[in-house]
Amino acid sequence: MTFITDIGTSVVGAYRAAIELWLVFIGTLAGLIRGRKTRPKGEILRQMFYIGNRSLAFIVVTLGFIGMVITYQACLQLARITGDFSQVGSQYMRLVVSDFGPTLAGMMLATRVGAGIAAEIGSMKVTEQIDALRMSGVAPIDYLIVPRFVAALVMGLFLTIVGSAVMFGLGGLTARYSFGVNLHAFFDPSFVRPRHLAIFLVKALSYGGTIPIVAGFCGLRARGSSEGVGWATTAAVIGGSFAVIVLDFIISASALFLTGGDL
Amino acid sequence: MIAALGAAVLELTRQVGGIVVLGGKVLRALIPPRIDGRELVKNLHKMGNRSVPIVVLTAFFAGGLMMLQSGPFVKKFGATALAGWGAGYAVLREIGPILIALMFSGRVGANNTAELSTMTVTEQLDGLRALAIDPIRFLVVPRVLAMIVMLVALTVIGDAVALLGATIVAHFMLDIEWATMFHSFADNLQPYDFLHGVAKSFAFGGAIAMTSCYFGVTVKGGAVGVGRAVNAAVVAAAVSIMLLDFLLTYLTG
Amino acid sequence: MPAIAFTNVAKRFGHRRVLESVTLEIPQGHKLGLVGPAAAGKSVICKLACGLDTIDAGSIEVLGTSIAGKREVELGGLRRRIGMLFQSYALFDFLTVAQNVAFPLEQRGVPAEQIAPRVADRIRAVGLAGSEHKLTAELSGGMKKRVGIARATVTDAEIVIYDEPTAGLDPVTTQKIYDLLAEDHRRTQATVLAVSSDVLALAGFVDEIAFLYRGTILYRGPAATIMDAPDPIVRQFVRGELTGPLDEATA
Repeated sequence: MTFITDIGTSVVGAYRAAIELWLVFIGTLAGLIRGRKTRPKGEILRQMFYIGNRSLAFIVVTLGFIGMVITYQACLQLARITGDFSQVGSQYMRLVVSDFGPTLAGMMLATRVGAGIAAEIGSMKVTEQIDALRMSGVAPIDYLIVPRFVAALVMGLFLTIVGSAVMFGLGGLTARYSFGVNLHAFFDPSFVRPRHLAIFLVKALSYGGTIPIVAGFCGLRARGSSEGVGWATTAAVIGGSFAVIVLDFIISASALFLTGGDL
Repeated sequence: MIAALGAAVLELTRQVGGIVVLGGKVLRALIPPRIDGRELVKNLHKMGNRSVPIVVLTAFFAGGLMMLQSGPFVKKFGATALAGWGAGYAVLREIGPILIALMFSGRVGANNTAELSTMTVTEQLDGLRALAIDPIRFLVVPRVLAMIVMLVALTVIGDAVALLGATIVAHFMLDIEWATMFHSFADNLQPYDFLHGVAKSFAFGGAIAMTSCYFGVTVKGGAVGVGRAVNAAVVAAAVSIMLLDFLLTYLTG
Repeated sequence: MPAIAFTNVAKRFGHRRVLESVTLEIPQGHKLGLVGPAAAGKSVICKLACGLDTIDAGSIEVLGTSIAGKREVELGGLRRRIGMLFQSYALFDFLTVAQNVAFPLEQRGVPAEQIAPRVADRIRAVGLAGSEHKLTAELSGGMKKRVGIARATVTDAEIVIYDEPTAGLDPVTTQKIYDLLAEDHRRTQATVLAVSSDVLALAGFVDEIAFLYRGTILYRGPAATIMDAPDPIVRQFVRGELTGPLDEATA
């Protein structure tokens, strides 16, 4: 019996959370349309600078390493089976553009930017700063989430482009120095078609938009004191990362159907 | 600019040093191995409980994704016998261990930091010290061991689920027969591919455990500090995972 | 028309029923002190009066407007007529002292040239001249409280709510703060709701004291005679006696 009530409670809880998440999303879009009424001037630029400043090195380092590892593993396998490295660069570029670049950058952004936003807004929630905003007739979503949303959208795209370039470039160097692959042959964009670039763009923008919404939602839901902030930050990391993976799957599968399997 | 860079480098050095020192203390506490068994079991249970659903889902999607990426290419060349090769190899060696470790870090590592840092800011660690209980031995060591064991176990489970995800995607979205996929896995994947990934997850587990405990016990400044500590811990864990992945891939081929 | 009117208000948090049935009216220009044991729901009443949380039953009217069921957007206008000092100050940690005090004015669309003198005047009144450009993290608890008071009173709102204006402060600072609040009230004639655990200091400031106990207003009477309140529970609480009818768990 308690088991059934437990399930019931968690279903109701999940339903309420989904509604709240949806309201944050709608509220952000509405705030975007309404424009700047309550926010200080230059807040979006400030947030963009903040996100870029905090995440650039992180994205470059993590995506750089994983780019080297992926190329290394791919070349290792090719050496064992076919020994033909002529297509490794062009295939790798296609994969980086259509999947690995945006998705791994998205996971890293969920970790860095998402956790940062949730920690910040969560701290404001438990110290009643959110209520203080509301007392001045300011909608917290307008004031806090909208600028972070726009900033994450723009900077997310920028960081994804940089991260993917680093991922590919360091992959090329790995192939060159560990397996003697010709760099010229590696930098071969012939497999990258406009549809791959479109997928890249759709993925980067969806992740950049989803991460601040999920993180802001987690921050606004924080309760209690330090445990609440810890909970919000944790939930933002896991929620953001998981959202990236699920969106990646949905976008990739949709692209596959839209192109009739010709990717 | 240079001063800021210098400060950042100093801060990084301080953190890496702190993590290494904490690692040393954990190792010393393990010789001779006097571990609080109850605390260890409690943590294993809690961490496993917390992370299994998210890891299983992540692994499933990751396997499916790898299939979605390699599938069209395999089909274009009519090489369906190789369908399981690319996806399976990528899942077992790289994508599986890395994605699972990242999700584990977000779920268990971050939670652990939140818990430890809340205990730290509410002076519970000092309370333990006042009772002559070593917080490292009592709180940190069981958590480190539990996280390593749990991540390895989850990677083994996750690998299986990811291959299942790849097979299901191959069947329903790419019209590749079940049997073809199974044969393809059996013919192209070697036990070493699996062991390579699991070995890495062992190291990832250690890295996540050390970073999450370090930022938990060194937190300063109330609720705001807790948020920052969790953020710093997941970021440090992600960097460590990528760095270790790179080093281990080169070392073990 | 009372400035604030609670009628049979009930509020639950999960399974915990914080307010059972609270009925409370504060006439305009009146100063009401709200006291009661810890966790009795005093702060909850403050927040409900501004519509910062929802109620489960009953009704709340503030300045003639019913709050229950109103959407966030509709409440903005009403909240701008209320000044609030939060229990944990709730100062914006990304703004300086002066920016914190200026915030409510900016959000009410007051022209910038009028904001600066009013902010300067308020900061001087709370005795923080010279700290205008400090970030709030650099301030002590007492200073933060005074910034919070400056921010709550800067708009000369029709209602001011003080949630624990003196908790954790020494007796001298406490008296200074109540003098400041009293002076403000003489000037603005605003309606005041003040919550405190320190009944004696509070009694010197407010006109009447209401006692919140087990989710209802158990007693309400003039502040001057609170020490001799007819209700034995209130008397025990106010005098700090160890034995009496006050619930063991909450005493």
